[in-house]
Amino acid sequence: MRSPEAAAVHRAALGPLLVKELWGVVAGRALWTMLLILCPIVGYSFVQAVSLYGEASAAAADAPVLASGLSPLDGVLVPTFGAFYVTVTLLFPFVAIRALGREKESGTLRLLVQLPYRVPTLVAAKLAAVAAAWFIAIVPALSALALWAGFGGHLHAAETLNLLLGHLLYGLLIAAIALFAAAIAESSATAAIITLAVTIGSWILDFALAGQPGLFEWISRVSLTQALRPFEQGLFSVGLVIATLAAIAGFAALAAVWLHPGVALRDKLVRSLLVVAAAGAVVLSATQVRTAIDVAEDRRNSFPPADERALKELREPLVITVHLAPEDPRYADLRRNVLAKLERAMANVTVRLASSGQSMVGSTSDPSYGEVEYVYGGRSDRSRSTSHREILPLLYGLAGVPPPAPDPGGDYPGYPLVAKVQAALPWFLGVLPILIILAWWWSCRPPRIRLRHLEEGGKA
Amino acid sequence: MTFAVARSPVVERSPVLMQVGALTKRYRDQTALAGVSFEVHAGEVLGLIGPNGSGKTTLLEAVAGVLPADAGDILWRDAPLPVGRRRDVIFYLPDGLRPWDDQFVSRVLAFFAAVYGRSEEELGDTVRAVGLSPVLGKRVLALSKGYGRRLMLALALLTPHPLLLLDEPFDGFDLRQTREVMTLLRRVATNGRTLVLAIHQLADAERVCDRFILLAGGAVRGIGTLAELRAAAKLGTVGLEEVFLALT
Repeated sequence: MRSPEAAAVHRAALGPLLVKELWGVVAGRALWTMLLILCPIVGYSFVQAVSLYGEASAAAADAPVLASGLSPLDGVLVPTFGAFYVTVTLLFPFVAIRALGREKESGTLRLLVQLPYRVPTLVAAKLAAVAAAWFIAIVPALSALALWAGFGGHLHAAETLNLLLGHLLYGLLIAAIALFAAAIAESSATAAIITLAVTIGSWILDFALAGQPGLFEWISRVSLTQALRPFEQGLFSVGLVIATLAAIAGFAALAAVWLHPGVALRDKLVRSLLVVAAAGAVVLSATQVRTAIDVAEDRRNSFPPADERALKELREPLVITVHLAPEDPRYADLRRNVLAKLERAMANVTVRLASSGQSMVGSTSDPSYGEVEYVYGGRSDRSRSTSHREILPLLYGLAGVPPPAPDPGGDYPGYPLVAKVQAALPWFLGVLPILIILAWWWSCRPPRIRLRHLEEGGKA
Repeated sequence: MTFAVARSPVVERSPVLMQVGALTKRYRDQTALAGVSFEVHAGEVLGLIGPNGSGKTTLLEAVAGVLPADAGDILWRDAPLPVGRRRDVIFYLPDGLRPWDDQFVSRVLAFFAAVYGRSEEELGDTVRAVGLSPVLGKRVLALSKGYGRRLMLALALLTPHPLLLLDEPFDGFDLRQTREVMTLLRRVATNGRTLVLAIHQLADAERVCDRFILLAGGAVRGIGTLAELRAAAKLGTVGLEEVFLALT
């Protein structure tokens, strides 16, 4: 087919589109309202966390063993960013929906899709603008980190950045879901209901289904909040990052499929199926990626270094059969303290539940309930312990190797700190909100320089 | 591929820019467009005439590719023009739209100018041509209906597309403003762009359009110049209103 027109419209530069999308996000009240709400919520959480951390630190002043259990990641960072997480879950969808919903409601979408940009480019620009809004929204939480450092608090770069990455991925996932909801819904209100149904539904999955056996356990893993937990534990999981990115890309692609009003419903459905299949395949593949880096300063996700090195030398398959119901708290302890670490430390580990449908109520009469069987190199042993201090010697015994000598030193010292955190309250309740209001006011001013050019007909 | 449509001897000399063939659109059991066919000639101002609900907007949106049609073809200079490429040559300006209404007028104009690579001088010329200078510092939602129309017109003029589809371009203007805009649109057509205007005010259409498509109930009831339509209706020297009533 020959070109329809010699003077056809060429693809335009991305810059104007990105600028337009950024102004679109900044011009709305949603972002600024969210920021103003974030200030007291994050501030209160930070003050509470530092106060409690200070009380624990005071108790540990005379006991170094207690001090080694004081980690700023658990004591300050996770609670402070927990407040950010709650606000992002409930309010960030409104910021993201606005990026598309307003154009759809007003009919401006019919102009937008005629611009010389591909529809995926339009959605990517909106996602980029919403990501920029996330970076603005995280300012109160970042200011809390700065205050913590100012009080003399310790921050470990890797675990802090890992936590920030987790929250960024979570924010982008919420944004992508919100954009998709805005693309399929007729109004912003409906899009908000859809998005909140997903985000709040995740909480319900978390609370109601976690620890339940069988299908419920699998469904509970779909919860969005599950995506954040490894980052809060100081674990950089490659598979999780890939899966989350695939989910973000999938929802963004679905938004692109449903955005154009000129595409027939049947075509949208077919394309949606293809997108879901592709994204689902990537997510499923990513769940098989076991590579994970323990970035926590206290190495809570790993065995001691000497044991890690020794376990890496055990090449044969290790089969672990657990006689516990999934909802049994001992299973959770075993998974956290032993199984997850073994899966990361050894190349070939298979963990299976003796009965996937087993429940605590029906298993108390089973004499083997609570046992865990370890099979390595044709030899087997059983234990009821959930501590690596008992399991690792058992494994070395099965493998016929001596337990490694522990490395000297290198123990996590802990970072106790008693700070006068009340001094931070004026920042979160006064100074920061005023700065946000000033920034809001600045964003509302008309663009004077461009205006002069226009008024003078380009002769300025 | 050709479509059997009436052709005006006046515009026959100018090449056919676009051919619309058997365009059909249904909403459940209601037929909004029933096999609409017509041609658009380069440089003409073609009026799409019909009462409210006759299918004018549906036709423009289906041609522009922002509404999926159930059937029909569009040729551009005798070559098929798929939906995905229509935005390369056609720009459709919807009716009653306040684009990006929370933004300042100057920012919306600057965005369109940047997207289509217009210089500041071209942007300034467009602003002056449509008389938007007094409201550049206002937000779009604060504009009156007339200025809102002017903004939309300015956006259309900033695009480089050879064919503009304008839905009710005179709605919201008073008599004097309507005449100004008509003069402006005639100048745009003289400069080589082709215009298809959906108009329900027949007097306005009669003043600005070269040819007319009479649309009623989603079907074409007549195509041609006013003289040709008079002849088809077997009427003497009467206005477009009488011709329209006679043919629909």
